[in-house]
Amino acid sequence: MTTIPVCAMRARSLSSLPSAVVIVGSGIVGAATAYFLARRGIEVRLVEAVAPAAEATGAADGAVSVASKRPGPMMEAALAGVRLYRELESEGLFSGFFKTRSTFIVAASQAECAVLEAHSAALAGAGVRIDILQHEELRQRMPAVSGEAMMAVEVHDEGHAIGYQIVHRLLTAAGIVVHRGAVVEGFLPSSSGNGVRGVMTKHGPVEGDAVVVAAGTGSGALLGFSDVLTPRKGQLLVTERAPELNAGLPGAIMSGRYLLSKGSQNSGHGAPARGLGLVIDPLRTGQFLIGGTREDHGDRTLNDVEAVAKILRDAVALLPGLANVRLLRSFAGSRTAVADGLPLIGRVPGRDNLFVATGFEGDGICLGPLTGKVVADLVCGEAPSLDLRPFDPARFGACEVAA
Amino acid sequence: MSGATFFWMGRSIPFQEGESIASALDAAGMVSFGPGVPPSQMRFFCGIGACQCCLVRVDGATREACLTAAAAGLEVEPAGGAHG
Amino acid sequence: MADPDVLIVGAGPAGLAAAVELAASGVSVELAEQRGTIGGAIYRQPISAATPVPQAAAAKARWRSLSAAFDESGVRVRHATVFLGIEADGQVLLDDRRSGGVVCLRPKVVILATGAVETVHPRPGWHLAGVTTAGGLQVMMKERGRAPEGRVILAGNGPLLIAVAAQMARLGNPPVAVVEAGDPFRRPAAGLGLLAFPGLLREAAGYVLDVKRHRVPWLRGTRLAAIEPQGEGFAVTLEDARGTRRMEVDRVALHDGIRPNDFGLPQVGGRGEGPLVLHAGDCREALGAPAAGADGHRAAREAIRHLGADRTANSREGRDIARYRKAQALLARLFAPLPEALPFENLPDETLLCRCEGRTVGDLRALCEMPDRLTGREVKHNGRFAMGACQGRFCAANTAVLMARMRPEAPAPTPVDLTGRRWPARPVSIGALMQAAPENTDQDKEMTDEVHK
Repeated sequence: MTTIPVCAMRARSLSSLPSAVVIVGSGIVGAATAYFLARRGIEVRLVEAVAPAAEATGAADGAVSVASKRPGPMMEAALAGVRLYRELESEGLFSGFFKTRSTFIVAASQAECAVLEAHSAALAGAGVRIDILQHEELRQRMPAVSGEAMMAVEVHDEGHAIGYQIVHRLLTAAGIVVHRGAVVEGFLPSSSGNGVRGVMTKHGPVEGDAVVVAAGTGSGALLGFSDVLTPRKGQLLVTERAPELNAGLPGAIMSGRYLLSKGSQNSGHGAPARGLGLVIDPLRTGQFLIGGTREDHGDRTLNDVEAVAKILRDAVALLPGLANVRLLRSFAGSRTAVADGLPLIGRVPGRDNLFVATGFEGDGICLGPLTGKVVADLVCGEAPSLDLRPFDPARFGACEVAA
Repeated sequence: MSGATFFWMGRSIPFQEGESIASALDAAGMVSFGPGVPPSQMRFFCGIGACQCCLVRVDGATREACLTAAAAGLEVEPAGGAHG
Repeated sequence: MADPDVLIVGAGPAGLAAAVELAASGVSVELAEQRGTIGGAIYRQPISAATPVPQAAAAKARWRSLSAAFDESGVRVRHATVFLGIEADGQVLLDDRRSGGVVCLRPKVVILATGAVETVHPRPGWHLAGVTTAGGLQVMMKERGRAPEGRVILAGNGPLLIAVAAQMARLGNPPVAVVEAGDPFRRPAAGLGLLAFPGLLREAAGYVLDVKRHRVPWLRGTRLAAIEPQGEGFAVTLEDARGTRRMEVDRVALHDGIRPNDFGLPQVGGRGEGPLVLHAGDCREALGAPAAGADGHRAAREAIRHLGADRTANSREGRDIARYRKAQALLARLFAPLPEALPFENLPDETLLCRCEGRTVGDLRALCEMPDRLTGREVKHNGRFAMGACQGRFCAANTAVLMARMRPEAPAPTPVDLTGRRWPARPVSIGALMQAAPENTDQDKEMTDEVHK
């Protein structure tokens, strides 16, 4: 088991550094923030309403990928997010928990080919290593994929990670004991200035020199961002083990239509009430993870047969061998989306030592560790390694925090 | 309807009308139904379709051998390993 | 054909009794059964030409009357059909193995009568091919009308072991031993209590006499602690208060009691557009066949009330069920494992706990010894317990018990914390599910592909 490197235990003597930080929420963002703070020798008090990875992180597709991104801040973030996974894997922390694999975006119609060509040029322009596969090359590389596939773009150097496993890894490595069932009721105002000195939970006060809120949609009510954050449902499917078919798939396959489904990057509220996009990820266990939907309505935790059957029809159209595999589980989760499609990462406007990190919608697993790292930088008063200006919560103006 | 058989990995297995594939395989001395997740093997266990230990491929479809009635000429194969 | 008002899942005593009662009230009802035959585990009928397994006279009489009433009811049975669950919009999903398709129905009431499932405690070697449950062995025996061949040892806990031993003996191959963790002879109070249930006593005495007559050793207060492969068969280790010894056998059949087969099933009640869900028989409370029949009637009447086709309800079933509950409680006390036979003590770390995913007692111990107290769901995710193809039916309850023992100060998880209640309740072919459609309306209503807009 990897423990925190001793060389990272530093700087506690600097007076600007907090000695204890309260984190609200132990999804992947909260867990990663806790890990990177603990790595600096800072005491972490992690309060959690339910249990680690109980919400969006535990119901995520696990893509650590830039394949569907368009040039812009989210692509920059995703590139850095994937790089960090690779770093943490090579230093041992994520060893065995991050599966490196390519993503293949597959086009099955002329229209999809056209979109895919433009998209692949954009990816290449951003420095992403890609290959275009057609005809014989496509068949050889992906023999299990349907003959209807006309073209594929292989996006190299990506991977897959299971959200709850990453959370467990981060918390275990940092030796953190989580305050489970500690629903946060409000903040403890500091005696002077605009700061906070902790949170009030159902179990009593938890104090710290800074507070980081990474509580998904629940962050809205706590921070007065409710009208900015929306829960968005996603349905996912897991198959039984099918080792032969799994071995015949060199990476994840993503339907070319997914690009159009993800087109809402800068217009979150203009997205359809229910969109379907297809990704089939071959897991290390020999199983397949198949997703998914993006829905604004409906019960947040249940799967409906209409969506499941449609996803499966699309999946079998791309990977015919799946028809003979059995579905083991279906699940649904609610992800936190922000009105403008970009996450909230940064200092809460008007508060000196209160930070927020949420609203990643479907990118939480990819961006979670990176976010934890940059939030730890912010909390310690250091310049973050990622340009956070596009994600600054101040873009939505001031807010009324719960006390 | 004695004399009817199905095929287990190409071998003829006799069965009685109404008998399950698991019962017929057991009567023919097949204790293991093929590889599973190590260190375990696929095999008859609970008899009520709950444990998923006796999965086999019946004409290409994955089925619990204990719930599936044998029929003349069926091609039955091991489930192909590591089902889970 | 229109959707039935009531769909019953499981054609055992509870499901059949409910069907008879509903049909008599003029309610439209259908039954889904995973096998090609009706009767459930208790009244499993032999294949044609096979000798029926000898049963107690009272059980035979119960089956004759129930099957006759059911035949007369004309209720449609969907055979080879597995209940998958109720989806978000309230449709009931059935996996029709004969047509190879998944059917969506909209009944007003669903009565789940899926029976019981055996408990098998983990022990080294329990996962080997050639080791079955005692109930599994009985299924084959009832189906084929022949005892299993070779040297068979029955081991575990509870009255079913002695019943299976007697049935084997009557079919010509008695087991080499019955290993029983409890000792009914040392529980006189419970035994005396059973005098109030003469039918039960008569049945039990019949089994015990048969076993004695065939000189089958009934090793009470003894535990089958481990199974190792040896030659074509096994060497088993038996432990009792005096020490351990080994026996060589060809087959091992384990049984440590029964519990409701309610894994992954929707809870009782109504939700949104969905049907009212009722549980009946052993899947509600494992009290055995006569109680299940009574509970089937009770559930049927609840369904009738819900449909507004009320008749004057009476409470006879309630009293009957209470009586069966008392009898089962006495049996449980009679067969209570002796203290020295506690099944979860001293399990070696390499003992398999979850067969589907190959997870061991040691894997669970590592998670339980962390300073951070993980919830049941976190243990499930990070230990992969209850995540395999059996969806926790054979490891969730054991994992929950072991977790409670390994960290007595932390809140104990329930099996449902590990299994959840999601559909599909059983694995289903993707080829079948992707064509899922209502049976009784136009199917070709494709969902618009919103992504193109």
